[in-house]
Amino acid sequence: MTGTATPAHGATKPVRVRRRVPTRTPHQAAKAGGGRLGGPLAALPWALPAFALVGVLLVYPFFRSVYGSLFEDNGFTSSYTGLDNYARLADDPVFGRSVLNTLMWVAGTLLLPVLAGLLIAVATHRMRFGGIAQLIIVLPFAISGAATAVLWNFMLTSDGAVNQVLRGVGLDSWAQTWLLEWPQNTLAMIVASTWQATGLNVVLFAIGLRAIPRETVEAAELDGASGWRMFRHITLPQLRAVTVVVVGMAIVNSLKAFDMIWILTKGGPSRSSETLALSMYRETFRLFHVGYGSAIALVLSAIVVASSWMYLRHQMPDTGTAKS
Amino acid sequence: MGRTVRNVFVAGCVVLWLIPLYLLVVNALTPAAEYVGKPEWTVQGLGLWENVKTAWDVAGIGDSFQASLLYAVVCGLVAVLVAAMAAFAVVVLPIPRPAFWFWLIYSGTLFPLQMFLAPLFGLYADAGLYDTRIGLMLVYAAWAVPFAFFLVRNQMTTMSPELTEAALIDGASFGRIFWRIHVPLMRAGLGAAFIFQFTAVWNDLLLGITLSRSPDVQPVMAALTTLNNAYASTGPPVILAGALIVSVPTLLLFLVFRGLFLRGITASAR
Repeated sequence: MTGTATPAHGATKPVRVRRRVPTRTPHQAAKAGGGRLGGPLAALPWALPAFALVGVLLVYPFFRSVYGSLFEDNGFTSSYTGLDNYARLADDPVFGRSVLNTLMWVAGTLLLPVLAGLLIAVATHRMRFGGIAQLIIVLPFAISGAATAVLWNFMLTSDGAVNQVLRGVGLDSWAQTWLLEWPQNTLAMIVASTWQATGLNVVLFAIGLRAIPRETVEAAELDGASGWRMFRHITLPQLRAVTVVVVGMAIVNSLKAFDMIWILTKGGPSRSSETLALSMYRETFRLFHVGYGSAIALVLSAIVVASSWMYLRHQMPDTGTAKS
Repeated sequence: MGRTVRNVFVAGCVVLWLIPLYLLVVNALTPAAEYVGKPEWTVQGLGLWENVKTAWDVAGIGDSFQASLLYAVVCGLVAVLVAAMAAFAVVVLPIPRPAFWFWLIYSGTLFPLQMFLAPLFGLYADAGLYDTRIGLMLVYAAWAVPFAFFLVRNQMTTMSPELTEAALIDGASFGRIFWRIHVPLMRAGLGAAFIFQFTAVWNDLLLGITLSRSPDVQPVMAALTTLNNAYASTGPPVILAGALIVSVPTLLLFLVFRGLFLRGITASAR
């Protein structure tokens, strides 16, 4: 772990002495130096390109989208309807299913890839050929989401490889039309995305495992800890920092999941496997309910921001707020 | 965990992970004309080159491949440069309210892409940027900046401010300090950020299908999706060959720069 941006100036803030020698942190150094770095405007040109790109192409559209969600807009005409779009959301049965699918994605992509990643990392840790096993499992991560989706489409169609295998080993009744019925279409896609996403977690957990000091493990061994007890009381707590990252990324990514679903089912059949990310796209760009789509996008944004903020604040009380 | 149990578990996982990859390769190898409508489990001849050619020419993956390469390289570089400059301003220079600037730029990664799509579409239609390469490059660059900024900034805070102080006393300008001190010292961090953003742009599907239509503008993932939808006419071997093609750049990048890539991720850990 390269433990970088620990809140250095958050910790050293109460420096009251005005010094002429450089202090530990950049901002204070600048203030103490008294204008040696030029006026406060000297830094602006350096931030301006980033501000222009992000401001015009991300921040402005964001607020435009918030505003647009108050309108009934079909791409040609628009009329102010206040919060009607949100009221409609509550009544829309597709929206309910969409939220349910989104929750399934979050639960599925939290549980499966994180647990599998942890298990595989612990199992391959200090094992012969463990590195090779890790490399094989991480390979799908380097393949893009779209290519993974195309491959799994090939495996999951009714006469695809999965059913072929099931029939081959005599489990004919297990063979399914995987992508054509809810809920197995959502579940099948979660498995496919697990196949792709687990590798990264394995490698991250492996880095975390390698960072555990040998003395800690040896001391625990002397105290008679082994197997499950060792894992529960030594390994798991030491992996906390990595787990925070892994779970944090999983929350955000699963909420935004799009490629896999769009390519495998397009949210269908009859919108049964839509998630919020899909619903927004369909409403806006297929059905031209622009205002309604924006309302969905805002709900999704609220969920993403709220969940990642709550999670990070809960898990990293020391760094969560000190990211200034 | 018993030794045998562990070995069996790992072996099982490896097999499970290998099967789809194996099927991908074997079926991309099968000559399209000999494909019988069912996944092949053994090598049925060497049609890979033919399939790749079909996907490349007929399905237009070739055009998109070049377009995507352009987007990923240029936007990755621009994003990293712009992000490094912004990080320099926020960390090193005396900008007022650094926290505000940080959150303003970083907010771009927090929100789902869907939140920007509809207004961007309108904006692009009005400005004549819809379905142009420059339009896609602009939005990819903007989209790549926030996270690159996050990574670069995190690493820049670990550099000692004495370096900057010393250079200032020697009378170096900001530009000189940035190019001569920060950029060379941050080479690894900037590299990791570039790989990240290259991969992100290369893998994008949503912006591509929203803001472009013609084959020579569309990014490669959109082209692959189009190919997948035309399933019946081309057949799985061609589609899987297409999936192989689009995976090559990120796979190579990952295999070559694995260490840098992972350090980049773990750097975002705190």
